[in-house]
Parts: sequence; C-alpha cells; structure tokens
Amino acid sequence: MFEARLVSCAVFKKVLEAIKELLNEASFDCSESGIQLQAMDISHVSLVSLMLKSNGFDKYRCDRNITMGMNLASMSKIFKCANNDDTVTIKAQDDADIVTFMFESKKQEKISDYEMKLMNLDQEHLGIPETDFSCVIKMPSAEFARICRDLSQFGESLVISCTKEGVRFSTNGDIGNANIKIAQTSNFDKEEESVTIDLQEPVTLTFACQYLNHFTKATPLSPQVQLSMSDNVPLVVEYVIPDLGHIRYYLAPKIEEDEN
Amino acid sequence: MGILNLTKLLQDVAPIAIKESEIKNYFGRKVAVDASMCLYQFLIAVRSEGAQLTSVDGETTSHLMGIFYRTIRLLENGIKPVYVFDGKPPAMKSGELGKRAEKRAEAQKALDKAAEAGDNAEIDKFTRRLVRVTKQHNEEAKKLLSLMGIPYVDAPCEAEAQCAVMVKSGKVFATATEDMDALTFGSSVLLRHMTFSEARKMPIQEIHLDKILESLKLNQNQFIDLCILLGCDYTDSIKGIGPKKAITLINEHKSLEEVLKHIDTTKYPPPDNWSYKEARQLFMEPEVQDPETIELKWTEPDEEGVVKFLCGDKQFSEERVRNGIKKIIKTRSGSTQSRLDGFFKVLSSTPAKRKIDDDKKNSSNKRGKMGGGGRGRKPK
Repeated sequence: MFEARLVSCAVFKKVLEAIKELLNEASFDCSESGIQLQAMDISHVSLVSLMLKSNGFDKYRCDRNITMGMNLASMSKIFKCANNDDTVTIKAQDDADIVTFMFESKKQEKISDYEMKLMNLDQEHLGIPETDFSCVIKMPSAEFARICRDLSQFGESLVISCTKEGVRFSTNGDIGNANIKIAQTSNFDKEEESVTIDLQEPVTLTFACQYLNHFTKATPLSPQVQLSMSDNVPLVVEYVIPDLGHIRYYLAPKIEEDEN
Repeated sequence: MGILNLTKLLQDVAPIAIKESEIKNYFGRKVAVDASMCLYQFLIAVRSEGAQLTSVDGETTSHLMGIFYRTIRLLENGIKPVYVFDGKPPAMKSGELGKRAEKRAEAQKALDKAAEAGDNAEIDKFTRRLVRVTKQHNEEAKKLLSLMGIPYVDAPCEAEAQCAVMVKSGKVFATATEDMDALTFGSSVLLRHMTFSEARKMPIQEIHLDKILESLKLNQNQFIDLCILLGCDYTDSIKGIGPKKAITLINEHKSLEEVLKHIDTTKYPPPDNWSYKEARQLFMEPEVQDPETIELKWTEPDEEGVVKFLCGDKQFSEERVRNGIKKIIKTRSGSTQSRLDGFFKVLSSTPAKRKIDDDKKNSSNKRGKMGGGGRGRKPK
C-alpha cells in the first residue's frame, strides 16, 4: 500500500509543469524515503532528477517499494481538475496497475477521485558521479528564466561563462549578438534576490537554449536557482522545493566540432 | 532481398529489440548508409507525375535528386552519413540474382502487354519493377557525394557486410538500410526508414542485435543459422518451414546440422545440394575492407562543382541547388550537442517486470499492427 498526502496540491501542479515538457512519461519510484524520479528526455541530452522527501508530505506511507509509470500529459489533465488549495492524496496498492488521486477541497465539502492507468516503462538508471564543480552560481530563478527566454530569441545556443567578475550569458545568431552580464550582489539583505558565485576556476560552456527554457518551467517552485558547472561535464540546474525536496536538471553541453 | 519474414518474427518474439523514434534524435551520430538500397528507393520513389526525373537527353536523375536532398535532410538533423556502395556480388548470390533477372524479364513482358492495352496503372506498376541501379547511377551518385563533401566507401563485396564491420568497429553508430541481413552480418544497430522522404512521416526503426539475441536466446552463429533457415539471398530454404517453426527448431537443436538430423526430411525436404554451410561462412566472414583503413571525412561542399554537375544538362534548378548547399554549409558551422550517456554510465535498465505478461496480453493486438509494419518492405 502506498499513500502520500499533501495539504496543498499547488506544489504538485508546479512539479508537473516543471517536467512535462521534457518528458512524455516517467516512472515514479516510491520508497520509504520518498518519491523519486530520474529520467532522460527522448534525445538523451538532458535528465530530470526529482526528489520529494517523505517527511515533507503531510502523510506518507509506503509498505513496499513501488514504481509507477505515468503518462505525464494524462497526469497533468487530472491535476488541472484540482484547485491549488485542494488537499491531494495519491494512493496505490502494491502491484497495482492503477493509481488514485483524491482531491479534497479546503472546506471538505467536495471530494473528487481520479483513477489513472499506470504504464510499463523501460527504465534506464544513470549513475551520476559526485562532482566538485569549478563554479556554482546562485541567482534569482526568475532572473535566470528571463535571461534564457530573452537570449533564446537570438540564437539556438547560450554560452555561459563564469569568472570572478561575474557571469556572462551570451548568444549570437543571424540578427546579431546578445550579452547579459550579472555581477555578484554585495547586499545580502534579501537572500532570495542575491547573486552569489562560488568559483574555483573560470568556466565557459555552451548549451542549447531549448532545454534551458524547459528547465525554467520549474521557476515557480523556488525563488532561487543554482547552476553548477565544470569544464566538459553536464550543467546542473537545481531548484530547491521548500520543505519537500528538489528538482535537478542535467544538461549535456554543446561541444566544438573537432575535425570530424 | 534480406531475410524472409525476419522483421515480422522479431516483432512477434523480440519486440523489445525494436525501438521507434524520430530522426532528430540521431544528431551527432555517424551512420553508414547502404547506398544501393537507397539509390533503388530513390529511383522508385522520386518521381514527378509517375515518371522518373530526367536530364535533357532522357537520362534518369531521380537518384541524384534523392541523394542530394535526402543527404541534406540527414545533415540538417545532425547526422553524418557515409554511403557504402556494393562491390561485386558474391558468387553465391547468382541464384538469387538469376531469379531477379527472371522476374525482371517477366515484368518487361507484362509491361509490353500493358503498353499495348494502354493500361496506365499497370504500365506504372511494371516500369517500377524494371527499375535497377546501374553502374552509371552509382558513379554519378559517388561524384555528387564527393562534391557535397560526404564520404563514401566502396565495399569489396556486399555493402551490408561492409556497413556491419564499420558498426562493429565503432567507426559508425549504425547501418541505415531496409535490408535486415545487415543484422545477420553482425551490425549491432540497424536503422530503417532513414532515407525515406520527410513527407511520409515514417518513424525511424532502431533495431538492436544484442537485444534480439537476448530475447531469442541465441548467439550470433545460431542467429545466422536462423536467418538461413528463414530464407536469405544466398541459398534456398526448406519448404514448409516458416518463421515460427524455424525459431523453434534452432532453439531446440542449436545448429542447422542438428536441425537436419532431427527433422523429418521426407516431410520437409531440404533443397538439393543445400549450400547452407557456404552461406553461413559468407555471413560469418564476408569479404570486407578493414574498417581501420577507412578514413571518414566530412568536408566543405564544392558549391560551384555541385551546381555545374546538377544544373544545366541535368535540369536541376540552380536556385534550389544553391539553397541546398547553403544548408550543408550551415550544418557545418557551430558546435554539436553532446549526449548525457557520454558522461553518465547506465547503471541498470529495467524493462519493467510486468512487461512480459503484458506483452502476452497484447500480443493479439500487436500482431494486428504488424501487418502495417511489414509494408515498409521493398517489393523485390
């Protein structure tokens, strides 16, 4: 028996929004420690790693580890039927082939049940090595989303270069070039609005805008985003979901073509 | 061409070995394209109002049109193609080639009849059957490819065999052909529908040899025997033994020698002088060029050269050709997207445990779909 309950289903809705553009379907691994998801997009360029810790739920019970393969578009349809302040309960029997979502309105006067068929999905678990990153940037998530959106109008690739002066985002395309430079903030009054750079050595990497724009769909989950980069390893974009866990995106860099 | 009913058999017993995906997911991959196969496709398919495209003096140019635009399509999707051309056919193929010649003669007769009767649909049908890739087609295609900066390889013998060794050696990611015997030659990955026109919206079929062997519980040699039993280009097969029976026999007896010992030869008479051993030898050790000696280089296209070759006599529109070349040049600039699998190791892959019973449940459905899947096969 698996049961997980969240008083506000808004978070869950946001999580879905944050992954459904990259993944069509995904396997949620439920265990005592929480709900986990790890999946690559179809072209194997990016990876989503989601962790929702069991102690972040208002009620959580998982007798046996189960894996639930879900179609995210269908799941999203179901969550569209719920209000943000509804309480959501996710239930499944061990070895079940359906999952139940129950939404209770705030005043408890309305209860809706949705059953969804589970899917059998091929799963590939990737081992992600622990990396000491050359630079770790923390910045307001909305700012990062804005930069990705603005610059993606100019070109397909975004160059992120991080030095001790700050972070430079740049792109070039048919109409010309665009550059945005962000400096570390000195004022620490509002942590949420600050930009901090933890730099071991300068790094410059190129990424496909398209994927970054998918990642920034997670912006509503967290006021801050953390970008971790090292030469020749994938970028990690992390959003902390307050009290519940995190969502991390990994993105393989674009590399310069060697002579074939 | 290829192995009789292998696709259908695989869809039945090893569905996990066949994946479908979009062409754009193959960015950055080097792919060996079976040139004879795709030239043939182009000759059949690239037509305007049912007739092949021709130059001013009536020479066909459909193959050049195909090579030019479909190669650009591959490049635009980030794929690096290398075309592999057939060399001399193996002696053992003479039987098969003879049969094809016979069929062609029949088609010619039928065509004459249809022409007399003035039946256009029939004329169209039989002219298509008469299509064959000539030496001149090959030479022209090679010339165009080198002008476009695309590498090609002349196989000493069968192109599929050459593609297979190139895949095995890691020179390229996969063989792109419709011909299933690339798998018999040991190509670890086979891509089908790669050079189909975009308009057909056919998903790419990616077939993995290791998954086939795993699902069928065979090793490569047994798989070769299975293919011979199903029916290959090099020798006849036993009448009355279909795919189902073939796989059961190989699973049970492991080799053709043993199969022959155990089957009732009066009921299933093997062909006279059945040369299965030679066919097996051909699949196991085909005549190929050592992949290590092949250097693959994708170079800058020669715009003026291509224009000179295609426009003028061959009646290609200069504007469109130049646009095409621009597209090639564009694909050469900029950086390439890498894949996460290059950085992270796959720890485990679980083809969900319930999958097996599920497949059984759905098998009746699946079979229905298969008829459709088989349509991709060439009528040859």
